[in-house]
Amino acid sequence: MIRLRQALREAMALLVVAAALGFIYTAATEKGLFARTISGAAAGATTPQMISAEEVWSLFQSGSALFVDSRHDFDYRAGHIKGAINVPLKDFDVSTSALRDVARDRLIVIYCDGADCNSSIELAVKLAKAGFKNTRISFGGWREWVEAKHPTEQSR
Amino acid sequence: MKSLLAHPHVVLLTRVFLGLLFIVSSLEKIVDPAAFAHSIANYRLLPAWLPMTVATILPWIELLCGFSLLFGIFIRGSAFLISAMLIVFTLAVVSGILRGLDISCGCFTQDPAADKIGWMKVLQNSTLIVLSLFLYFSNTERFTLFSYIQQSTPRRRST
Repeated sequence: MIRLRQALREAMALLVVAAALGFIYTAATEKGLFARTISGAAAGATTPQMISAEEVWSLFQSGSALFVDSRHDFDYRAGHIKGAINVPLKDFDVSTSALRDVARDRLIVIYCDGADCNSSIELAVKLAKAGFKNTRISFGGWREWVEAKHPTEQSR
Repeated sequence: MKSLLAHPHVVLLTRVFLGLLFIVSSLEKIVDPAAFAHSIANYRLLPAWLPMTVATILPWIELLCGFSLLFGIFIRGSAFLISAMLIVFTLAVVSGILRGLDISCGCFTQDPAADKIGWMKVLQNSTLIVLSLFLYFSNTERFTLFSYIQQSTPRRRST
């Protein structure tokens, strides 16, 4: 019991100092929480960021972002976010994809099925490597969009 | 077992190993918190706003715990924190494996293509948990900064 009490006391001290150092360092270097590009809609970010359903919806309403569906083409054809283009992760090649002629600083929102899929993240990493500087990942993806009853469309 | 817990050289070796490991693993995360936040978000366990906060603080906890173990300050508290962090990391990795996620661990490098999660990672983490619990239950004060100061103070007075 004495051992645990001592450990908790020391751990608490370490946590407080670590939190202080973390906040001071990131504020001084404008990284992490204090990065100038932390806002979902801010331009110029190089690391893809997860954004919430509210941010996705506000970007959709503003019309400032290009929506990219990273699912298989048959999922895309069955239903996708209105206006979204399909760039399946499988066999992605920027020179042949629908993103070939898109400006590299264009704000792009990538989504896949939902919170448990991974293709949006992997596509975002590939796009970053291909020079796209301003990508965001919809955390809740297609499922959240449908649940919120936001505009969708189908393709033949 | 009791003699092992009090064996100063075994405890020192474990402290140096774990200390250096956590210092090294914290550095890349400190330099690039956004990439680390991305690694955390890949696990899809936290709400979207939380990974960046975690990525701001967690690497500094690792760094401080690493130095604490190396210099023998707050060994028990550091071992407690490291054990707790490793248990949480391991549960996250297991959860990722069970959900079929093909993601990078984010443990030592933030390269999304490297250090993928898998049962080998769980085994590695489990070994580290055993080592950190060993330090938590160890009961030797030798080779620590405090013991060095205590030893050197009377000597200085006598000269």
